[in-house]
Amino acid sequence: MNEQPLVQIKNLSKTIGNKKIIKNLNLDLYKGQITGFLGPNGAGKTTTIRMMVGLMKPTEGDVLIEGQSVTQHFEESIEKVGVIVENPELYKYMTGYKNLLHFSRMHKDISKKRIDEVVQQVGMKNRINEKVGSYSLGMRQRLGLAQALLHNPKFLILDEPTNGLDPAGIREFRLYLQKIARENGVAVFVSSHLLSEIELLCDRIAIIQNGELIDIKNVKELQQSRFYFNVEPLAAAEEILTGIGFPVSQHDGGLLVETEAEHVPGAVKILVNADISVFAVQPFKATLEDQFLEMTGGGEIAQAHTE
Amino acid sequence: MLKLIQNEWMKLWSRKASWIMVFLLAFVLLGTAGITKWVNSTMESVNTESWQEVETNELAYNRSMLENPELSDAQREYFEGEAAISEHRLENDLPPYEYNTMQQGVIESHVMMSIVTLFTVIIAGGIVAGEFSQGTIKMLLTRPVKRWKILTSKYITTMLYALLLAVVLFVVTALAGLIFFGIGEGTFLVWNGSEVVEGSFWLEGLKMIALSFASVWIIGTFAFMLGTVFRSSSLSIGLSIFLMFTGIQAVFLLANYEIVKYYLFTHTDLTQYYTGFMPVEDITMSMSVIVLFVYFLIFMAISYLTFGKRDVTA
Repeated sequence: MNEQPLVQIKNLSKTIGNKKIIKNLNLDLYKGQITGFLGPNGAGKTTTIRMMVGLMKPTEGDVLIEGQSVTQHFEESIEKVGVIVENPELYKYMTGYKNLLHFSRMHKDISKKRIDEVVQQVGMKNRINEKVGSYSLGMRQRLGLAQALLHNPKFLILDEPTNGLDPAGIREFRLYLQKIARENGVAVFVSSHLLSEIELLCDRIAIIQNGELIDIKNVKELQQSRFYFNVEPLAAAEEILTGIGFPVSQHDGGLLVETEAEHVPGAVKILVNADISVFAVQPFKATLEDQFLEMTGGGEIAQAHTE
Repeated sequence: MLKLIQNEWMKLWSRKASWIMVFLLAFVLLGTAGITKWVNSTMESVNTESWQEVETNELAYNRSMLENPELSDAQREYFEGEAAISEHRLENDLPPYEYNTMQQGVIESHVMMSIVTLFTVIIAGGIVAGEFSQGTIKMLLTRPVKRWKILTSKYITTMLYALLLAVVLFVVTALAGLIFFGIGEGTFLVWNGSEVVEGSFWLEGLKMIALSFASVWIIGTFAFMLGTVFRSSSLSIGLSIFLMFTGIQAVFLLANYEIVKYYLFTHTDLTQYYTGFMPVEDITMSMSVIVLFVYFLIFMAISYLTFGKRDVTA
């Protein structure tokens, strides 16, 4: 990508006691892109996010938002960020509207009209004048989103945002995030361990384990085209397909062939001509889960912080 | 900053406890006055002395106190003033305020300031700690506002609430006096250092409230610091109230040591310079003000440092 990154995480490290929890993390986030932040429990997702929003101070390194450092120029850089850290904890003893009013006063120039607009956007109009204490978790999530969007942030950070949302709510939430990323060019950074959710939502995935960034992948790359060939005899078929240049591996009593759909009929023809019985050919989709577990070595829980 | 204070003020009044404390204060003041009235009406008048007899006795007492050679300057001045006022009353036939009148009540309204301190401590201890225990601190600190500004807005809000309670105390005391006892007869006299002049009971009452407010201020600041450092409102409220009661007792234990002069609770009650009751003798008003201010700076420094540097992990 040629454009200037909106957010740059540079050599971010955090040491608590003598345990290095985050180790030299480097990551760039771009306008209009939704990046998933994936990792097993205890990998350092929440700590990273807290350093990005100024809740924790990095031991080393920095986070730049449009070139401005979060540690040096907190007010200027954070003005561009909308945050939901874990479950949105709001003031339960106040109404939803007063909560939004409260947060709006902490930003520059947010009009009452803008508050009403956001309330409308998240579909809270009918309940906004009730106390937050009476809201369901899903309602609170919506209000949490509303407070994060009040000031039209250029960068949205969400930590486990779909906790407590029902399937319809998750879908709505996903479409909404994709819409603001696409239409308003907002960079979105979402941490989650709900792999299926990340797969549907994100354009790009950063994977963290034991405080280290182990991989950054585009979701399209992950969804490379593969086909499963159920053929007999296996060895002969593998030889032929490899012979004509397809990357082939054995999988579940058949063959996995990396290829585009347009090459499949040709391959089948060659196999049939070589007297190989073709029982079935079907597109093969490895789920993100498989790949995630593969990359993180079985998704084991990171070692405890105490040694 | 104004918007931040507005926010804190809104949150404060969104909680029932803040309202209950204001009403409770008014209720206690009205109740005390009502009970006093009722008790007086059921008892036969035991006080048969005329005011002249009372003043003569007081004059004799004050003069006898003045004969004590170990008296500190502040105390000497106090007794001299009292004696001069009594003399003036007897010479010019000016009776003092009767007990249980609105005027006397206003002058003595400051004796109920400990309730204001108590309620202020409850707010001060919870205003920061509450954000941590509810988890809302994450929402509050991820805004484009520096932490010291947020802490300042919370401190100012706490003190505004304390001021409001003090005003309620003053106004309700006057009202309760008016309702139950009437304004009352008599003249209020003060010793201005060289002569006896007539004073305003309103001003006297306000002056005493203002002096007592020093105690509300410093103990409130202490509770605010504890709430910020320990992030637990119950701990900070409990500890502050405990110290408020035991701290003053400790003044008597320490009275023979030099250190008592730098001990916070020796100085928290500034009205001691006007009521003649001084547990430690050779201290002065200006010294008390300086000591209180130094404690204030220390409490604030600790609050700002911990709040500014803390990693929010909850």
